[in-house]
Amino acid sequence: MKLIKKGAEADIYTGTWKNSKALFKTRKIKTYRNSSLDSKIRKQRTIKESQMLSQVKSFGIPTPLVYFVNLEKSMIVMQEIPGKPVHDLPESKIIEISKQIGKLVGLLHKNGVMHGDLTTSNFILFKNTIYMIDFGLSQNSIKPEDHAVDLRLIKEILNSAHAKIMEPSWKNFLNGYKSVVGITYQTKIVKLVSEIESRGRYAQVV
Amino acid sequence: MIGLGIESTAHTFSCAVIEKKGKKGKILSDVRKIFRPEAGQGIHPREASRHHIENSPIVLSDCLNEANVSVKDLDIISYAAGPGLGPCLRVGAVVARSLSSFYKIPIYPVNHAIGHIELGKLLTGANDPLVLLVSGGHTMLLSFLNKQWRVFGETLDITLGQLLDQFGRSIGFASPCGKNIEELASTSTNYVSLPYSVKGNDVSFSGLLSATKPISEKSKVDACFSLQETAFAMISETVERALSFTSKKELMIVGGVAANKRLSEMLKDVCKRHGAKFFVVPLKYAGDCGSQICWTGLLESQVKKSAKLKDTFVTQSWRLDSVVVNY
Repeated sequence: MKLIKKGAEADIYTGTWKNSKALFKTRKIKTYRNSSLDSKIRKQRTIKESQMLSQVKSFGIPTPLVYFVNLEKSMIVMQEIPGKPVHDLPESKIIEISKQIGKLVGLLHKNGVMHGDLTTSNFILFKNTIYMIDFGLSQNSIKPEDHAVDLRLIKEILNSAHAKIMEPSWKNFLNGYKSVVGITYQTKIVKLVSEIESRGRYAQVV
Repeated sequence: MIGLGIESTAHTFSCAVIEKKGKKGKILSDVRKIFRPEAGQGIHPREASRHHIENSPIVLSDCLNEANVSVKDLDIISYAAGPGLGPCLRVGAVVARSLSSFYKIPIYPVNHAIGHIELGKLLTGANDPLVLLVSGGHTMLLSFLNKQWRVFGETLDITLGQLLDQFGRSIGFASPCGKNIEELASTSTNYVSLPYSVKGNDVSFSGLLSATKPISEKSKVDACFSLQETAFAMISETVERALSFTSKKELMIVGGVAANKRLSEMLKDVCKRHGAKFFVVPLKYAGDCGSQICWTGLLESQVKKSAKLKDTFVTQSWRLDSVVVNY
């Protein structure tokens, strides 16, 4: 097995599983964390992620296939998507793709799931298809507040990591989102996003 | 160039003199008086501002004496114009305006939070860090891009400092309680399960605060230990996410809670994992101080004209990501 990425939460290796190429995602022990807290978090997220990767396929969201789960090691064996994370694409491409990402997030929310970690690193472009990954923080939730937390996070990421293209990307994202959830729900969620932002420390109170 | 900085955003009234030569700054003096509420109580803005008013003359003259400069040697005066408690902010601003108008010294309003970061960079030598600002007023992860500090994650409700202070007060400590909690926590290893709330890169502490209070009725030490372990693990996780996402090779931690050793220990471990250098602001300058205001004012004076007296407001709500940094 070869280490290809040391992520924030897990280490990603490539290797083979039953004669085919596969990714091994292992949530390693975090020594800085209290051990009982650590094992609880790692186990919960491994279960959540493996379940959700399969569940959201029925909504029409492309995700990698799950081959195997080893709870002892907090490890998921899954299909490798040999594309590029949206985060690393050229800026013009990110603007364009934002609409598609908005649609996928819309599908997720429409079916009562929040992702919990919507960043541009968690979408992979491969052969004109966008795959959604990293469901460790996801939850089954139909609460508008939870959906708004998702949108607020991707907005925060666009605002910080992609500041130059924030406006067109966000606009496209919202258009894609709206095309799935409808204008009424979209307006409601966007309003909630501003509400969450206004709770931020020292935010402008209008 | 010699500057005077005045800090009065919350519990601290402080004046500092810094001499700037090129990119280097030397702190000639930094004098503080800290408002201490009674045990179990927080900072009452009116009481704190009264404390600041009473102490401002002595802090100012001590600061100048210690630096061995007179008012006439000062090239600029800067004051913390926000964010902070209105009545407290006003005290610092009044002192700054009086000196500026009487002695005709250029005046610079400074963002207190930017001050934490800039002083941190001066003292640690960090170059392009991911910044963790943890204090009573802030809990934010920031990185610098296109002339502005961009927020990668922050608290959605109370800050880490407030979490520690409000819990500490509930068990009878006086604010700031971080040190007392750290001492108690170090005597326990019994972890009690508490709510862990990380939402992407953001954190939420209010549920954790409510859940920790009943535990303290059984054991104060276990409550302190579990509270620290949970809250710091949440912070460490978001730091790890941001390091991995931004690929920054430096982490700098500033603000009052930077003084906590357990937090530093955890973040050091995170940095090791990601091959990042770890910088923590020296203990003496972690909390609010005049130096942070003075140094930022000196940096601003390189690129900006001083403010007109009529524009020297204070602003209780002034987010640091709205400040354009040109130096």
